[in-house]
Amino acid sequence: MKTVRKVLAFIFLSFICIISLVPFIWVMFSSFKTNSEILSGTVGLPTGFHISNYVTAFKLAPIGTFYINSILVALFATVLNLIICSLAAYVVVRCQFKAKGIITLMFSLGLIIPGAALIQPLYTILSGAHLYNTLSGLVLVYTALGMPTTFYVMVSYIKTIPYSLEEAAYIDGSGFVRTFLQVVLPITRPAFATAGVIQFLFAWNEFQFALTLTGETGKRTLPIALYYFKSAFASDYGAMFAATVVVAIPSIITFIILQKQVVAGLAAGSVKG
Amino acid sequence: MKKNTKWVVLFLLPGVLLFSFILLSSLFVLTGSSFTDWFIGSKITFVGLKNYIYLFTKDKVFIESIKNTLIWIGLQSTIHVTIGVIVALLLSKKKWYSSAVRTIFFIPNIISSAALGMLFLCVMNPQFGLINGLVSRITGDRFVQNWYNDPKTAFLSVTLTWLPYAGLVTILVMAEMSAISEELFEAAKIDGATSFQIDMQIILPLMKNIIGTCVVLAATSMLQKLDVIMMTTSGGPGSRTMNMPMYIYKTVFSNNNYSLANTQGVILIVLGVVVLKIIRKVFGMDKED
Repeated sequence: MKTVRKVLAFIFLSFICIISLVPFIWVMFSSFKTNSEILSGTVGLPTGFHISNYVTAFKLAPIGTFYINSILVALFATVLNLIICSLAAYVVVRCQFKAKGIITLMFSLGLIIPGAALIQPLYTILSGAHLYNTLSGLVLVYTALGMPTTFYVMVSYIKTIPYSLEEAAYIDGSGFVRTFLQVVLPITRPAFATAGVIQFLFAWNEFQFALTLTGETGKRTLPIALYYFKSAFASDYGAMFAATVVVAIPSIITFIILQKQVVAGLAAGSVKG
Repeated sequence: MKKNTKWVVLFLLPGVLLFSFILLSSLFVLTGSSFTDWFIGSKITFVGLKNYIYLFTKDKVFIESIKNTLIWIGLQSTIHVTIGVIVALLLSKKKWYSSAVRTIFFIPNIISSAALGMLFLCVMNPQFGLINGLVSRITGDRFVQNWYNDPKTAFLSVTLTWLPYAGLVTILVMAEMSAISEELFEAAKIDGATSFQIDMQIILPLMKNIIGTCVVLAATSMLQKLDVIMMTTSGGPGSRTMNMPMYIYKTVFSNNNYSLANTQGVILIVLGVVVLKIIRKVFGMDKED
């Protein structure tokens, strides 16, 4: 009985690993094949490392530009999101004021709104504010959509910091802002790391608003590159494979390197659900 | 606790401004325009509940999109979560491969869904895809399918791009499990409990809350699946794999019917709230906080 269960567990876990890894590995191998190889032999290894697909991919779609856009948008959306949420979370935890309930509600409201509902309204609002088809527009949207998670992570973390530290700073004559900057922020670093990684990955991977809030190629982010291939260059399979690998790799590497932060962030961020 | 009204206001201001600009005004436009007729470039006229009545009585594609969305919510909050929990239970026995499997299982969740969609578009491609390649090697060409374009297989093929990939559930449940004290297991072992009994009678009951959370996450994720569908079937063939986000997108950008899209948006939000309430009730999550 026990061995049967062990064997079943082994088979099940192997199956899980296969379905998670094999599609990606197959696409990676295929990205080094020539178009004719792709069309004939479907399962086998490539005959050699043809990096020509990558060259074509970068030529067909301005992947370089997309990359830079993605990095800029994700970076600014993360920094802005962390600043805004840490400020708000700090006063919500440490200060007394009437609107506290409303503020907390406001920061978590984003959770119950599926992004798809906002496609048209955000398109209208950003157009009206002359932010349609700009990277700044995307940065603002991502910053706002990421607020619930970051706010929650920050609030839970700041709650664990003993107030005596700040009290000591006040007694030493430090002001409100200085205490926040010099006493609280340094201790809150782990929360910044956790929330920051999650926010960065969210902004890096986001597709829907990147598609609907930008119009021209020069302003688009990496996930849109794939849509570009699907609609415009669907016959150049090799380049399509190469583009998929180029888009997927950074997220995978980020996750493997920062696994601890990602897991902590997901665990903390999910509780609010 | 300090009283410092000036700083409180200044610290909250950026968040409040951004919230008002992005979310509050969107919700205002969304709800307001759902009671109007508003096409691209046209004047906006008030029409009352016309859009709502039209969607529920005349728009067959919309009905199908709700039906599909609900089916996917049902599948995702049951089968998907179960797969994730089973993997977490198996990996909790701290084997040498536990953390490797956890990492591998999470890869499909961590890459951009656009990339995942593209991955599957290639894997399921009728001419050169991996699946047909394997199928034809094993059985000949009899079971080779045009997975995403055949009405018989499209729904299943789309479902398979997310249903088995429960890495997030596994990670969340495992994080919660690590908080259970070892003594509990020791005591159970001394009492002669098998590891299966420990899983079923000790771990699972303690995991009730996090599993509830996972069900919420899995269900609500189905309310925003646009990217994968867009990369694979765009809702087709016909409207076989149409879900609510995809239909909203089509209504905005293909039909240019802004008010109808926003009416769907309102319904989507309401549906989300209802689903959330039901799940929280089932898992008894309303009592806490």
